[in-house]
Amino acid sequence: MTDRPEYTEIEHTADVGFTLRAPDLRAAFERTAAAAFDVMCDLDRVAPDASFDVRVEARPGDLEQLMVRWLSELLYLSSSEQVLLCGFDVVELGSDGSHAGVARSPDQSGASLVLVARVRGERFDDGRHHLKTELKAPTYHELVVERDGETWSVRIIFDT
Amino acid sequence: MAKRVKSPELRQVGEFIWEIGKTGGMRVPGRVYADERLVRDIRKDNGTLQVANVAYLPGIVGYSLAMPDIHWGYGFPIGGVAATDPDEDGVISPGGVGYDINCGVRLIGSTVPREDVVDRVPELVNAMFRDVPSGVGSSGAIGKLSAKDVEAVMRDGAAWAVEHGYGNATDLEHTEESGRLATADPAAVGKRAVERGRDQLGTLGSGNHFLEIGFVDEIYDAEAATAFGLAQGTMTLMVHSGSRGLGYQVCDDSLDAMQRAVEKYGIGLPDRQLACAPLRSPEGERYLAGMACAANYAWANRQILMTLARRAVVKVLGSTEPALGLRLVYDVCHNIAKMERHTVAGRERTVCVHRKGATRAFPGRHVDVPSRYRAVGQPVLIPGDMGTESFVCAGTDRAMAETFGSSCHGAGRVMSRSRAKKEARGRDIRAELAERGVCVAATGKGTLAEEMPMAYKDVASVVDVVDRAGLATKVARMRPLGVVKG
Repeated sequence: MTDRPEYTEIEHTADVGFTLRAPDLRAAFERTAAAAFDVMCDLDRVAPDASFDVRVEARPGDLEQLMVRWLSELLYLSSSEQVLLCGFDVVELGSDGSHAGVARSPDQSGASLVLVARVRGERFDDGRHHLKTELKAPTYHELVVERDGETWSVRIIFDT
Repeated sequence: MAKRVKSPELRQVGEFIWEIGKTGGMRVPGRVYADERLVRDIRKDNGTLQVANVAYLPGIVGYSLAMPDIHWGYGFPIGGVAATDPDEDGVISPGGVGYDINCGVRLIGSTVPREDVVDRVPELVNAMFRDVPSGVGSSGAIGKLSAKDVEAVMRDGAAWAVEHGYGNATDLEHTEESGRLATADPAAVGKRAVERGRDQLGTLGSGNHFLEIGFVDEIYDAEAATAFGLAQGTMTLMVHSGSRGLGYQVCDDSLDAMQRAVEKYGIGLPDRQLACAPLRSPEGERYLAGMACAANYAWANRQILMTLARRAVVKVLGSTEPALGLRLVYDVCHNIAKMERHTVAGRERTVCVHRKGATRAFPGRHVDVPSRYRAVGQPVLIPGDMGTESFVCAGTDRAMAETFGSSCHGAGRVMSRSRAKKEARGRDIRAELAERGVCVAATGKGTLAEEMPMAYKDVASVVDVVDRAGLATKVARMRPLGVVKG
């Protein structure tokens, strides 16, 4: 099965949030997704049996919007396909047309940001999957997606 | 992204009114209804900063308001009320409604004495747990709907449920807006939201959603209680739920459009989550029409959930609904925006009232209040936290004058979910509640810990404030016997 991701939960009265660090921007998106799904159900209970392709876009330079759209897309996928997701591979992350496979700072020139990923998971099984919390949606509240020295730092709060 | 800004000062201007003075880009002052004890809690989180931020909204009139159960949300605080005037370029802000559009609660009264059910509560709770889908990822009791069916639900609201055999017309008379906002337009709702709505109708949802069996424990206003059909010591049922994935998606879908609108209309905001559009703009109109669809879906949902719960009770007690006197007292929204007539600065106008974690509390004379309640006021339902008391109050003229006819909605959280889970570690919350005489059925272990009573403000103190401030007068108190949680 999958390993559980590392993240730190935030104290927030109404909702759920967490912070985490990643070595690069691509990993930041992958780890945030993993943490979100781990909040819903311990990822070590979820098998990567089925796979899905995901593509999202955002305004030039708007990493926060890209993060929100990425997570919204995954929550929608989870809800509509009745699956829990546990594996996240960002294949492409950059400006439209640049096909940047390796994370680098987003282009500010006017091209949309694009993220392409292959995600894996399995159909929700009442018996095996103990659902902890339902995440309604990612929010922009105090959302941080930024480079912090050598690493990337994410802070995000979900409506629950 | 915004760093933590210092919370604005609260200055007491009335026995239960604390004001936040206009600073920076605030167009109106802020006002928080609370007592000194609640103010101490309120000062600890950033809710007051959000009250001040809401005051930036174009066209906001009167005050940026907060009820005593105020706590930190996103954009708007939970417990926030704000009215905007379309004639003053007033805006609609989806954050002032929330993701769970028309999350709300309904209360069912009965003629069943507590003594007749108290020994059968575990059976009743298990029957409801079995018959009412709850929890994350669960599908509806009524099967997967077609997209066309979902459109009909979005258009017709609770009436759709009644037409399909769930309850009756009397239920609709005792629902806010009769369970249907006529401004709904399914064309304003995206395909994804419709897709999510197909198999969630008739599901409870998780988090703080619940079904509760309780009883009327104390009557404060005999005349109002009689009018509401609540007699001392009788069994009650409560349903707390919202618009499920359809509502979350409608909200989510609106936020990108709103962010573009903020740029297009040159609206300056201190918080991105306050993204909004003028009421009189295509973006604003589209959101309102979509929001109304989600609201209608939620009313249909609560109508169905109530019917399933009623049927489970009837089955266990081996009786009939008329014999048990099961009757809907009222259904209220907690997360909604509505166009309403209010007097502002001496002039009557139509304004858009955002209530996020707040309840309408109209006086009896208001045309929207059912005739049965004309003499006493609109029922205001205020559920407490899991395992403790809930209240029914009545709306007042004073609420109409001071808070756009609004009151609090519930207890409000004081502890984060993560901290609640930590506090609950090693404790058996289910057993603790059982010791208090409350039987709980829940699907998620996490949800019980997160929802433990310590995580919430004391609802009685919140209700005391709205009662003494004259916003909603106490009518009755209920205590729980059994709870079904998602």
